Amino acid sequence: MRSIDRLFEHSSRRLAQRTSRRSLLGTLGQILTGAALVPLLPIDRSSRAQAADGTSGAHKPDTDVSGNKKTTDDPMSCEYWKYCAVDGFLCSCCGGSANSCPPGTAPSPITWIGTCHNPADGRDYIVSYNDCCGKTSCGNCECNRNEREKPMYRPSRNNDLNWCMANADSNYHCSVSVILGVAEQ
Amino acid sequence: MRNALLIFALATCTPLLAEPPLPSEHLTLTTLPPNTPHRIYVLDEAFNNEIDARIHVFDGDSYRRLGQIDAGFNPGFNLSPDGKTTVVGTTYFARGSRGTRTDVVEFTDNSTLAVTHEIVLPTKRAMTLPTYFNLGYSSDSHFLYVAYVTPAASFGVLDPAKGTVLEEIDTAGCVLVIPSGPNRVSSVCESGRLLTVTLDAQGKEASRAMSDAFFDPDKDPVFVQGVPTSAGFAFLSFLGEIHEVDFSGAQPAFRASWSLLTPADKAQSWRPGGTQVAAIHRKSGKLFVTMHRGGEGTHKSGGTEIWVFDMKSHHRVARWPLAPQKLAPAGSIQVSQDDAPVLFVATEKADVAVFDALTGQLRHVEKQLGQTPWLLLNQ
Repeated sequence: MRSIDRLFEHSSRRLAQRTSRRSLLGTLGQILTGAALVPLLPIDRSSRAQAADGTSGAHKPDTDVSGNKKTTDDPMSCEYWKYCAVDGFLCSCCGGSANSCPPGTAPSPITWIGTCHNPADGRDYIVSYNDCCGKTSCGNCECNRNEREKPMYRPSRNNDLNWCMANADSNYHCSVSVILGVAEQ
Repeated sequence: MRNALLIFALATCTPLLAEPPLPSEHLTLTTLPPNTPHRIYVLDEAFNNEIDARIHVFDGDSYRRLGQIDAGFNPGFNLSPDGKTTVVGTTYFARGSRGTRTDVVEFTDNSTLAVTHEIVLPTKRAMTLPTYFNLGYSSDSHFLYVAYVTPAASFGVLDPAKGTVLEEIDTAGCVLVIPSGPNRVSSVCESGRLLTVTLDAQGKEASRAMSDAFFDPDKDPVFVQGVPTSAGFAFLSFLGEIHEVDFSGAQPAFRASWSLLTPADKAQSWRPGGTQVAAIHRKSGKLFVTMHRGGEGTHKSGGTEIWVFDMKSHHRVARWPLAPQKLAPAGSIQVSQDDAPVLFVATEKADVAVFDALTGQLRHVEKQLGQTPWLLLNQ
């Protein structure tokens, strides 16, 4: 458990170094406001989004040949902006949502961290990628995106590890993406 | 009408009556053919139902599946130095997908594909992508090392002959096990250094040393999939630098790095990518790499081409596009070590293609060799 504490402490300290409470409160306010405005806004708000026929669906590539990112607003699509460092099955396709584990599973208490750009508001967000555990792999909506992902020698930035490793049932089912706050530029 | 029926019955039965019946059969058990340099062990992670991974034993000459070694959940695997044993480090749950977790190393006799024995581990085994370094033997096979991550990093020292766990060695945040010699284990650290622990005859830590950094994990990380060379391993970086590490001495030694890419290649955003991104034919010094065009974050994108390099001159000597062969991008690659080498390429669509490694001629495509063939090992 000491190691888990250390990992959390490390992640929290890094997060604290890069964000402020004011920015987090501001972000939460924007998210709440944004959530209320979603139906009023056009579907494609992304200045970086590519043609729709190349971006929909969970199994499409996340980049074009020159490496430009494609993003969508669909949480069941691998190209959803918040999934920029997911390597696994999307819980939104497995009975859960982008930030909620499916029924009967258990969230992993330890996690890897990514930084994703939201084209809708132009901000970078720190995202926690928790695994949902205790059932065998969901097998639906496999998503493999690796922006700023690092190999296993940087564990807090690595999505190859089974982050269910410390759960009582360490079987991997799917992955969620939870906004922790705005990343300061 | 009765005559017509009789004629019809005779007409339809006559051919059957003319042939002798098939002989009765005896149920037999197939024995494995003798090992050849073109035998390959293909780990299928079975990612869609991950508790059921397996290793397919495949023959690169007859293109036949020779058999299967079961591999449980999120396994690592390796071969013994003499090639006679496959070791699988894996996890089982008491109720299939749930229940009490058991971590274990299973030993399979490669001449029969039967499990001969096992060693139960502490429930600390590193659950991650399969690499050469999840578990591995010392050069004399007296020790077997298994990487642990809880997420605190350490490794287990096992006695494969006696079937016991001897020790656990804390690696202070450095991960995986790179065996060298009879009693050394190196691990890759967050800082880009290598930690090398030297063991005594009982498998206890005798000393440890930290190397200088041999890559920059912030600017250009290396894939953890090292590629065996004659004296150690070569590590490829995300941006195409080759870092050759000589593990033959008491401490790892680093050769000057070199790049796979010309300025023109860099301008076109070529880079290595996939799961097992490179293989080396050690006798000829030929390096095979899965290459694609892409930007930051595409290090797991499979190669649209195989590029071949001469390790001495550092020159590219061939490039083999896969699309004209109707092959999906390559995720994993391996080459046999004989004088008539074959190249095995596992694609993102789970096909395994067999090439003549000297000419690039495609010889065979084995469709759907499992769901997710992520690691290809051979002797």
